[in-house]
Amino acid sequence: MTETLAHAGDADEAHDRFRARKVSSEVEARPLSAKLSEPKTFNPAARKAYYFYLMAPAIALLAFISLYPFFWLIIMAFQKGDMGPVEWVGFKNFADLASDGRFLSGWVLLLKYSAMCLFLQVGIGVLLAIIVNGSRYEKFLVTALLMPMMMAPAVAGLLWMFLYNGTFGWYHWIFQSLGILGSGSILSSAQTSMYAIVLVDVWQWTPLITLIALAGLKRVPRDQMEANMVDGASPARNFVAIVLPNLYPVLLIAVLLRFMDNFRFIDHILVLTGGGPANSTKILPVYLFEVAFKFFDLGRGAAIALVLLVVTIILGKILVGVFDRPTTGGR
Amino acid sequence: MFYTPKKAIHSRISRRKFLELGGAGATMMGTGMLGVGLNSTIMASRVSAQSSDEAKWKQFSGSKLVFLSENTPPSFAIREKLTAFYDLTGITVEILTDDLPVVQQKAGIDLRSGTSDYVLQYSQDKPIGAPFADFYADLTPMFGDETLPQDPEGYGDDVWFENFLTACGRFYDGNRVVALPYDAAIACTFYRKDVFEANTKDFEAEYGYRLEYTNDTTWQNVLDFATFFKKAKEAGKDVPYGYAQHQGSFAWTTQLDIQRMCFANGRWIDYAIDDKLGSKTPGATNWGDEQSVLILEKFKALADVSHPDNLANGTLELNTVYQSGNIAMQVQYHEFAASVEDEGTSMAAGGKTGYAPCPKGAPEWIKNGGEAVNGTNCGIGGIAINANADEALQRAAYIFAQWSTSADNQYEVLKGLGGTPTRKSVLARPDVVAAGQRPSTMPNALTFDPVYNFGIKDPNFTLGPKIPKANEYHSIIASTTQRMLAGELDAAATGAELKAQLDELNAG
Repeated sequence: MTETLAHAGDADEAHDRFRARKVSSEVEARPLSAKLSEPKTFNPAARKAYYFYLMAPAIALLAFISLYPFFWLIIMAFQKGDMGPVEWVGFKNFADLASDGRFLSGWVLLLKYSAMCLFLQVGIGVLLAIIVNGSRYEKFLVTALLMPMMMAPAVAGLLWMFLYNGTFGWYHWIFQSLGILGSGSILSSAQTSMYAIVLVDVWQWTPLITLIALAGLKRVPRDQMEANMVDGASPARNFVAIVLPNLYPVLLIAVLLRFMDNFRFIDHILVLTGGGPANSTKILPVYLFEVAFKFFDLGRGAAIALVLLVVTIILGKILVGVFDRPTTGGR
Repeated sequence: MFYTPKKAIHSRISRRKFLELGGAGATMMGTGMLGVGLNSTIMASRVSAQSSDEAKWKQFSGSKLVFLSENTPPSFAIREKLTAFYDLTGITVEILTDDLPVVQQKAGIDLRSGTSDYVLQYSQDKPIGAPFADFYADLTPMFGDETLPQDPEGYGDDVWFENFLTACGRFYDGNRVVALPYDAAIACTFYRKDVFEANTKDFEAEYGYRLEYTNDTTWQNVLDFATFFKKAKEAGKDVPYGYAQHQGSFAWTTQLDIQRMCFANGRWIDYAIDDKLGSKTPGATNWGDEQSVLILEKFKALADVSHPDNLANGTLELNTVYQSGNIAMQVQYHEFAASVEDEGTSMAAGGKTGYAPCPKGAPEWIKNGGEAVNGTNCGIGGIAINANADEALQRAAYIFAQWSTSADNQYEVLKGLGGTPTRKSVLARPDVVAAGQRPSTMPNALTFDPVYNFGIKDPNFTLGPKIPKANEYHSIIASTTQRMLAGELDAAATGAELKAQLDELNAG
C-alpha cells in the first residue's frame, strides 16, 4: 500500500515535469541561518597600482623599442639629417615631397602594385579555398599550398630571379615558348617588370588568403545553406547569399594583412629589380629605403615614412569601413 | 639523510680549507690579471713600442678589431691568414663580408651614429668613400710614425698603381689620406677572338674594315660590331649578340657604364671640378650640353643593337651572359677574368677571350674640342679606419690595414683566389710576369697589360664625380638613362632631365 502511494506520487512528479512551471509571485525568503558567509578567498582583489607595477617593466620595454624610435622618427622628419650635423628645418622635408617626382611616382606605383596584388590574391585565394574545402586531399593540398609562404621573401626573390633570368631561366624559356615574351627577359622591360614582381608576391602570399578563407568556410552554417537550397537557390546564389557574407569578417583580416604587407614588404623588389628598370618598380617603400639607407638623407626618409604611415592608417580605416558595413545576406 | 659519495670533496676538505683555497686562487688570478694589464699598458706606450720590431707589432696585443668588407677575393684570402696575423700581433680580427650595398648601409649607420662597431671598413671610392670620407681617420700622421710597424715599400703614390691612392684615399682635400688601396676593379674589354675571326670576312664586306679589336678601336667601331651581329642574328645566323651594357639594378655600375663613353669622347666629365679629388660644392652639371646629348644618342643607339636583356643585366649578370656565349664582347672589370677563364663554367675560356683597353672615343663624336681617349674607369676599394674609434684602436687598426695591403699578401691573394693587386711591386715578380701570357696560372694577370699599363694611366683614366651625394647622383643617372633606353625619353630630354635633377640635388 505504501509502495503504491509512493509510486503514485512519483507519477505525479514525473507528470509535473512536463507542465509549464508556475512562477511564484512571492519572494522566497531564505532563513537567516542559511545565509552563507563570504568565502575567504585566496586572492583578494588587488589595488590597481599592483597590476600597473607588474606590467611596468613590459610597458617600459615596449615603450623603449617602439615608442622611443617613433618619436625620434617624428623629430627627424623636421630635421635636415644627412651625414653632417643636423639642422631644424620645420616642415621643409614635407613640403619638398610635393615636388619630388620620384616620391609621387612611388605612390602611383605602390597603389597599382598593391591593388593588383590584393585583387589577384583575394580572388585566387578564395577560389583555392573553395576547391580545397572538403576535398579528399585537403590536408595534403593545404600543406603543399603553404610551402611558398614558409620561404623567406628574399630567398623567394632569388629563386624567381633565377627563374626569370634571360640566359638560363626556366620561366623565361616557357614565357618565350608561349609567345608571351619577346627576346628580352621579363625583368628587362619597364612594361613587364611590375607584372613579374606582382606574380612573385601572388605566388608567395595567396596561400595565406587561402588558409584564412578556408578557416572562414569551415564556420559557414550548413543549416542556412541547406535551407537556402531547399528554397531553390542555385550554388552560385548560395555562395553569394550565405557563404560570402559569412566570409566577410575573415576576409577583412586577410585583406588588411596583405594590404599592410604590400605597403612595407620590399624584399622581392630589392632582390629582383632594385626598383628598376627605369624606376618602373620603384614603389614608395623602395624609394623610402633608398633615401634613408643609400642616400642617408634621414630627414627626408623620416618624412616619407610618416606620410606613408598616415596614409596607410587612413586607407586601412576606409577598408575596414567597407568590409564592416552590415551585410544583408545578399537579399 | 642524503647519500654522500665516499670521495665527496667536502668529506676530505673542510669548509675553512675550501675558503682558504678559493681566496688564494682569487688572489693569484687578480695578481696575474694585474700583471697582464700592466704589461699591456707598458707595451702600448709609444716609448716601449719603439724598443724592437716585435714590440711594435705586439703593442696592441689583446685588442679586437672588426673589419666590414665587401665579399671580394682579398677579404676571403686574408680571412684565411688571420691566425698568422694574430701570431704576429696578438690582435684578434673578425672579417665580416657582404654585398657592396649592404656594406654601404652598415658602414653608414655605424659612422653616422658615432659608434665604431666596425673599426676597419672597406671604403669603395665613390659609393662609400665620397659620402663618408669625413668620418674616417686621417692616416698621414701614422705613415711616418716610428712607434708603428710600417711597410718597407711605404705608402707614396709611386708604390701603388697610378691614381689608386687618390681614387680611394683622397677626398675633397689632397692633404688627408683616409684609405689604403686594398683591391681594384678596372674596366677593360673582353672579346671573343674566335667569334671575331669567324665573322671578319662578312663584316669587312659590309663595313670595309676588319672585325678585330685593337687599342684604337673606337666606340663607333663597337656600334658597328654590335649592329653587324644583331643583323646577322636576326637573319638566322648562329652568332651571339655583339655587345651588352651594364644597365641592371646596381646604380653605380650603371653610371660607370655611360661615364666611360662620355669620357672617351673629348674627356667629358659631369662637373667642372677636379675629377680625382672631387668637390663638396660641385656647382652646375654639364649634363644637357651638346656633347652629352650626342653621347646619350649614341648610347641609346648602342643599346638598341645590344643584347635584349640590357636593362636587367647588372655587372654579374652581364658576365654570366658573356660566359654563356651569348655576346661576343663586353666591357667588364678585370677581376672577372678569373671566372671567364674557368673552363668548368665558361664557354669563353680556353684562349677564346682577348683582353684589351676600353674603346676609344670617335673623333666624329667629339663636339667639345677635347681629345679622344680610351676612357677607363674603376672601383678602387680602400681599407679605412673609423674615426669614431679611440686612438689606441685606430692605431691597432692601422697595423692591420698596412699588413693586409702589403705586397706579400697581395701576391698570395692573386695566386690563391684571383685577386687584383694594388701595389706595383706585385707585377714585377717573375711568376706574375709569366702569368701575363697563356697558359696562365693566374688568369687575372692576362688583363694586367691593358689595365695597369694603359687604361688606368692618364689621359685615359676617369674617376669622378666624387661628391657627398654620390649615391643619389648614381641613382638619378641610372634611372634617367634607363628611361631613355626604355624609350620613355629621347636624348635631349634625358640630358635636360639629368641637368634639372642633378642641379636640384646639389643645391638642396
